[in-house]
Order: sequence, then C-alpha cells, then structure tokens
Amino acid sequence: MTVVELESVTKAYESKVAVSELSLKVEGGQMFGLLGPNGAGKTSTIRMMMGITIPDSGSIRLFDKPFDRKALERVGYLPEERGLYKKMKVVEQLVFFGQLHGLEPGEARKRAKAWAERMEIAESLDKKTEELSKGMQQKIQFIASVMHDPGLIVMDEPFSGLDPVNAVLVEKTLLELKAEGRAIIFSTHRMDQVEKLCDSICLVNNGRAVLAGRVREIKGSYERNRVVVEFEGSAEFLKSEEIAEAKNFSGHAEIKLQEHGDAQKLLHEAAAMAKIYRFELVEPSLEEIFIQTVGGNKE
Amino acid sequence: MNNIWLIAKREYLEQVKGRAFKLTTIGLPAIFAAIVGISYLANLGIGANEHLVVASDDTVLAKEIQARLLSDKKGKSTVDVVKATEAERTAILEQVRTRAVDGLLWVDSKPGALPTATYYSPSSGDFITAGGLKDALSDALIKEHLTSAGMKEADVDAVVKGIAVDTYQVKKDGQMVASNAMASFWKGYVMAILLSMTTMIYGMNVARSVIQEKTSRIFEVMLAIAKPEDMLAGKLIGVAAVGMTQIAIWLATGTAIFISPLAAAAMTGNMKIHFSWTEGILFPVYFLLGYLLYSSLFAGLAATCETEQELQMYMPLAAAPTWLSFAMILLIMNDSNSVWSVLASLFPPTAPIVMFLRMASQTPPLWQIGLSIGLMVVSIWGVLWFSSRLYRVGILMYGKRATLPEILRWVRYS
Repeated sequence: MTVVELESVTKAYESKVAVSELSLKVEGGQMFGLLGPNGAGKTSTIRMMMGITIPDSGSIRLFDKPFDRKALERVGYLPEERGLYKKMKVVEQLVFFGQLHGLEPGEARKRAKAWAERMEIAESLDKKTEELSKGMQQKIQFIASVMHDPGLIVMDEPFSGLDPVNAVLVEKTLLELKAEGRAIIFSTHRMDQVEKLCDSICLVNNGRAVLAGRVREIKGSYERNRVVVEFEGSAEFLKSEEIAEAKNFSGHAEIKLQEHGDAQKLLHEAAAMAKIYRFELVEPSLEEIFIQTVGGNKE
Repeated sequence: MNNIWLIAKREYLEQVKGRAFKLTTIGLPAIFAAIVGISYLANLGIGANEHLVVASDDTVLAKEIQARLLSDKKGKSTVDVVKATEAERTAILEQVRTRAVDGLLWVDSKPGALPTATYYSPSSGDFITAGGLKDALSDALIKEHLTSAGMKEADVDAVVKGIAVDTYQVKKDGQMVASNAMASFWKGYVMAILLSMTTMIYGMNVARSVIQEKTSRIFEVMLAIAKPEDMLAGKLIGVAAVGMTQIAIWLATGTAIFISPLAAAAMTGNMKIHFSWTEGILFPVYFLLGYLLYSSLFAGLAATCETEQELQMYMPLAAAPTWLSFAMILLIMNDSNSVWSVLASLFPPTAPIVMFLRMASQTPPLWQIGLSIGLMVVSIWGVLWFSSRLYRVGILMYGKRATLPEILRWVRYS
C-alpha cells in the first residue's frame, strides 16, 4: 500500500519558495530518507505531510486517500525541535499523547508502560520530565510518536542527542517497526545511517528533488572509481599518476582515481612499495554523492 | 471536540496542581484580609491614648471642648485645660517638642469676634486629630453662643448632636431596601477589583502558557495531531476552568466567613452588605466574558513573542481599560445613569468593571446589561478571529518578536 504520496507539491513563504513541484511516494514496510542541506525544504515538506501547513498547489495522499486530518491519528511524528511538557510526569505525558492519537486512557497507560520497558526507561515513568536527561527525554518523545501503532512514522533527526548505546536501541526498534510493515520517513544529515537503514531516498535542494530512488540503484549508477587500501610500509604509491585525490589515515587510505585511472596499475605500484592487506574498488559513499549532487558536480 | 477537551483537561490539571495556584488561592484573600484587618486595627487605635492640652482665656469654651473630645468613644485620651498665658505656651510647646504632650490647641478669644485656634503637634500629618479638634471647637462654640442667647442646654445638645438620616433604595417593583451609600460603594469597589484582578491574572496565565509552549517547542508535536484552533480553545477553556475553580473556592470560603458569628460581630448595623442574586449570577458571567476577551487577545499576541519580557510590551493594552474604569469611579458612583457611565458600561474592554460599579448604586436597566453582554460576545468573536490567525502562524515562527507589519501580514495570509 502507498502510505504517503506527494504530487507536484509547492509551498512558498512571502519571498521564498520552500518546496517546488516536489513528488515522492513511500510504501508500507519501507524506510525512506528525506535528505538535503539546511534550508533545502525538508521540514516544510514534512510539515505539509503532517497537515501543519497547507500546500499552495499539488496534492498529498495519506494511506491511499486524499489528505484528511483524521488520518493523522495513524501517523507518528518526531519533530526536529523536540518538545515535552516539562512539569508533567512521564507516564501522564505519554497517556496524554496516546489519547490525542485516539487511544483509550487505560490502553494508553498499558502501552506507555510496555514501551518504557522496551526502551529501557521504565524507572523514569513516575518522574517529572524536567528531571530527566536530554537523551532520556528523547526516548520519551520517541515513544510518544510510536506508542499508538502508527502506519506512518516521520522522524526528523531521530538520533540526535542519543549516546551510541541508545542510538543502537532506537535503530534496532526502527528496523523492527519497519519489519512489521510500517512506513518510516526519516530526515537526517547522518549519511552513514541513511546508507545503513534506508531503502530509498529523496535528496532535496532549494525545494526541488534533485536525486530520488532506491539507495542501491543510486549508488550503482555511479562509477566505481574509489579505492580503499589497507597497507603497511611506504605510502609513496599514493603519489601515483592514476590517483586524483587521496586521504591517508596511517595504514588506511581512501583514494579517488583519475577519470580514466587504472585500478590494476595502481595495485601493482602499491604492491611494489608496501604490504597490501586490502585493496577494494568501491562505489562512492552516499555522503560523497550528497556533496557532489548538492554542489552540482555529479560525475 | 475530544482534542479540545483533552487539551483543556491537561491545562487545568497542570495549573491547579501548580504552586502558583495554591499560592494565589490562599495568598490573595490573605492579603485582602490583612489589609482590612490592618485598617480596622489602625482605625481602633486612632486618637487613642493621646495627651492633649487645650489652652484658652475662655475656660467655659475650653471645658466644653474638653468634654466633647472626651466623649469620643474610641478615644482614651487625656485632655487638660489650662489658662492661655505666654509662660504656659512656652512650657507646653517644650513638652510637645519632647513628646511629653501629643498636641496643644491654642484658642485665642476676642470679645465680639469669633475666636481663632492653632494646633501644635509633633506630627505634620495628624489630620484625623486635627479634624476631631475642629468639630469639637465648632460644636463648643455653637453651644456657647446658643446658651448665651437663652436656649436650654438640653435643646442645644440635641441640635448639635445632629439628626441621623436613614436611606432607602426604592426598587423598580416598589420594594424598599435599607441602603448605605458607603457600604454599596465598598461592595462595588471590591467586586470590581476582584473582577479586574482575576481577569488579568488568568488572561496573563494564558499568554504565559502560550510562550512556555512556544519556548519548549511543544507546538510542533501538538500541531501534528491537533488543529491550532482546538489548541487555542482547549487552552482558553482549561485556564477559564482554573479561574472558576479559584473563584468558587473564594466564594465558598467567603460565604463561610460571612455567615460566621465573627463576621456578624464585625459587620454590624449600617456596614451590613447585601448581595443580590443578579450580582451572584452576573459576577461569573462578566468574569468569563472579560477573561475571554483579554486571554484570547493575549494568546494571539503571546504567539508573536519569544519571551515573557517581550510580552510585557503589550501590558498597557490590558491595563488601560482597567485604569480607565477605576478613574471613572466617582463619576459612576455619583450618577450611575449618566451618558458616560452608560457608554463605559457598554464599551467591551471596560464593561465588566464599570457594570459592577454601576450595579453597586442601582441595578442598570436589563436592556443595558443585555446589550453590554451582547457587545462583549461580538467583540470576543472578533478578537478570537484575529488572535487565532496570529496564533496559527506565530507559534511556528522562532527567532524574534514579530513587528506590526509582520503581524498584519500574518492576519491577511493565514
């Protein structure tokens, strides 16, 4: 089922066009990355999906139907700007948000407890929100956005403020939710996470989609002209004529070949000067693709 | 509707459980009680235990003044009478300087003319004692003149004592109710103060709560599930319920104190205050209308601000109608049906307070009450229309306080 579909959506504020003719489609069971530099139009796009603002033109469909506020009860949203009622007890806060999403108070309380256990913050349920650390508050906000079993989960920078242990916990939970068939859209600057978690992406720049599709296919469309070398000995081979650019991290080098650079020739030169443990021809990383595309230098 | 109810309930519970609610619920009446208590005690103490000296050549007149000063029930003063000589004057003034004597009344009698009097005291502002002396001197002088003209002493006393005037208010239906202008004035004044205080306190509460939610960035989360209109309505209803709870607590406590034997003993005779059913019903009605007018305006303005300090700039908007209402107090009390009184009681920002001040002297015609409520409802609708537009755009704008042209643009395009 198509969970969310934007068709030629445009939104302008006074003198600035925030989103222009943007179209995208996210299916159930899909993890979708909405990427772009600061001010590209990601938050404006998400706000329109959530009915916070209304598009000037174009259409938005949620769960295969034209946008209707009632459908928002089936959406979970974790905005970039986090917000919780500081004076409220955690459990009361979660019950309140659960009820706003259509849960009965008893059911909301039950789910709040179950989710608190799952996210390892059960001991904080009876504390006031202001007594908790930023990371803990982040987890509560995460629970508030998923506890009502949404079919669509929209997360803006879900890992910011989390330590590595909790980031892994959230990552694992998101993958479980995806496996249950929910559509997850997340917007982030962390390209390593996008590469690891997302099936598809849409890269937005100046309000327009500049790159969209499945991550595998996008990366496959770029030439394999990167080489990762792990070695011991002289690094002189990094001065080879085949290399356009090289970064050496003492024994680990990341190399970009010349336009017609020969990887085999480079391997021979390297082997002659150093002991080679790994020599791998790789695709460009999503981060490189991002920088090239946004900078207008797609190879 | 469900969302409005949930938001109102959350707002209500958070505020009622908060420290500020408990403090104001107990604190405000305590401050009122303290003010009343202090002025009562101060009033008891005025003129008491004072040592005054009356000096005059005319000993009959001086004795009469002494008798009148000592007849004051509240006073436990000592009043000495001395012959007015220059030596006495110097000696007593020295005693005044050293505070051994609280005051000297020097009366110069001149044959064939009215005497002149001078009062010397260590305090420059002892106007209550000075006022009492003036009355005593005048009464004594009248008595002296009338008795010397051949009038009997008992008759003179009766004339000087004066005649009490009972006042009755004649109602529209012909019913006559014993009235007391002073008591009516105080009742109207206290009710108007309570009304303006609660309206302002709760109007500002709404504004503060909007700014806190804006600062804590909770709006973005809330807007993804609730409409801005629902959020505004929920907030206004929730805070209104907090205000009504507080007023109910005050009324219940007030009634309990009012019907207690203590109050009966304290408020005797003329100071007895009567509350009518109309006042009982109209007080919460005008509170709600006044509150909705202020709070909806302030919710919109708060959405354009980033901090409470920025909101302070709009404070005169809330305070001006209150100042205006209280500035008109004498005008209203003297003639509650004058054109200005009627206009001010119809003008929505001043209507709640002025209507209560008018009601203190007499119940205004029903059509005027109805019209003032109708005008308030219409202006609340208008202010809500304006504010909900500001609110919808303002709560998502971060960074700086909106300027007037920006605010006008928001109203146009939202």
